Amino acid sequence: MKTFAGFALTALVLSALAFMLGSYQTDVYRKLLLWVTLALSYNFLFGIAGQVAFSHFTFYGIGAYAMVILLFQVGLPLPLAILAGIGLCVLLALVVAIPATRLEGFYLALATLAFAQLFIVVLNEGGAVTGAAGGLANYRLPDVFGMRVTGPWYTVVIVLLLLGTQASLWRLDRSWFGRACRAVRDDPQAAQAMGINVTATRIAAYTITSAMAGVAGMVYAFVDNTVNPPIFGLENSFLLLFMVIVGGSGRHAGAIVGAILLYLLPFVLSPLIGHHHALVFGLFMVAVVLFQPKGLIGIWDGWMAKRRTVP
Amino acid sequence: MRDFVELIVGAMASGCIYALVALSYLLITRPTGVINFAVGEWSMLAAFGGFLALSRFELPYPVGMAIVIGAMVLVGWLTERMAVRPLVERGAPALAPILALLGMLVVFREIVSVGMGPDPQPVPPMFGYGRLELGLVAGSYQSFTIIVVTALVFGSAWYFFERTLAGRSFEAVAIDRRAAALMGINLRRVTALAFAASAAVAGMAGLLVSPNVSAHYMMGLPLAIQGFTALVIGGVGRVEGALLGGLILAVAEQFTVRYAPIPPGLAQGVPLVLLILFLLLRPTGLLRARESRA
Repeated sequence: MKTFAGFALTALVLSALAFMLGSYQTDVYRKLLLWVTLALSYNFLFGIAGQVAFSHFTFYGIGAYAMVILLFQVGLPLPLAILAGIGLCVLLALVVAIPATRLEGFYLALATLAFAQLFIVVLNEGGAVTGAAGGLANYRLPDVFGMRVTGPWYTVVIVLLLLGTQASLWRLDRSWFGRACRAVRDDPQAAQAMGINVTATRIAAYTITSAMAGVAGMVYAFVDNTVNPPIFGLENSFLLLFMVIVGGSGRHAGAIVGAILLYLLPFVLSPLIGHHHALVFGLFMVAVVLFQPKGLIGIWDGWMAKRRTVP
Repeated sequence: MRDFVELIVGAMASGCIYALVALSYLLITRPTGVINFAVGEWSMLAAFGGFLALSRFELPYPVGMAIVIGAMVLVGWLTERMAVRPLVERGAPALAPILALLGMLVVFREIVSVGMGPDPQPVPPMFGYGRLELGLVAGSYQSFTIIVVTALVFGSAWYFFERTLAGRSFEAVAIDRRAAALMGINLRRVTALAFAASAAVAGMAGLLVSPNVSAHYMMGLPLAIQGFTALVIGGVGRVEGALLGGLILAVAEQFTVRYAPIPPGLAQGVPLVLLILFLLLRPTGLLRARESRA
């Protein structure tokens, strides 16, 4: 009950914010919320299930493209398009995961990297279906029950997406499944010995989180009202990884902190160093791996522990 | 026929570049188990080194090349010293060095983008822009240079691993780290050497490929992907595998571009599809690693 009240309050505050922002700020705010959503699900995949995959942002792209293509080229109604889009993401995730999770170590990283690049090639060569290099544009969200969902109300949809993702990941993390994922991450052989089906756990973690990224992508499709290949390139997959590591992998709060920090950093840095914020990201990433492996949230935990021990 | 032979020569030249990048991965992966996604960035650094030494300061090619390769040895050694050794000594999880090197990838790329600007820069070929024709066999000077230099690099790598004590110690570390350390092999030195040699080989690839593609700060990642595709095709365990994988990949790529009835853009997907297929069907690659002999 308390948790539910907490979620309701967060939803209210985050939604209320949406009604106070101008159009530029709304755009920044919406994308921030989407990045946090993605970082949360990627944190489950990378931080909790321990899979180094570069395909998370690709599934975001698949979700977005699937939504637009299914709605406006196939002509499905919205609910069906959502279901079909999720189905497609699950299917593709299974196609990648079933063989790739069999592979040990960095092979998953290689396979997902190839998958991510292949997606971009397909987008660029997709002709009229994917709109090739120019992507797809000039569409808008169909009416829901005869109402147009725009402006701050669409931001509320994104807030609900974020909280829905967070709530389900939180539930998953606290369930036997979350514990199984952590066990598989730390020692697959020991996990196997304890009766955990390692392969099934890996496949499930990959598929669930990838589908979540796909759903976030579907919502994203109507943020800019355009989808094109450069948005879904590898750079953003790297950025997602950096967010989770800098914030503190394996921690929900870490993912949120990392996403907010790295998303907002360019806005602070660009007056100082122009477009070279990627250099700062790289240095940040190396520094965190070297000196603060638990991420920024680890510093916070350290303070808290100190306050508790010193009376 | 002539056309076909020229296609083969071109494919072999690009295959040699992939093979060098694959060798660069292998030199690090084999003894340390670390996959270094930044090897493509090392090639990019060397390409810009080539631009500075050969195009801007107009040094003679051998001098410029020696300086660039020397600098790459230093870069590799420094990378190991700063981003890998502290993690290994702390006993960090195996993933940590890989992530640190991924961060270094971005750092290298952005330093070049800040320092050299985003425009592609020309790098001259070793023997000028000529064409060599020997009966049926024809191709640019640079293609033949690439093939010869790669043959030399692989020849010396093979000699090093098979015939020298230092090379055998690499192999020993690859087969069993703990046992190797107990036999008195200095793991730190092997790791440092592996990174330095890997950077030198990646640098060679960058220097050789840059006359064809120009030095550009974004050239690293495609090379890195093609390199590890070659590595996966050939097998992570053997030096010959890297060469074989590179050549197979390049021939498959060029033949698809030339003969397959698909748009040229889609042909970019060939290495990716090959990579995925090999990971699925034969993750050990064509050549298996040597197992420890009991």
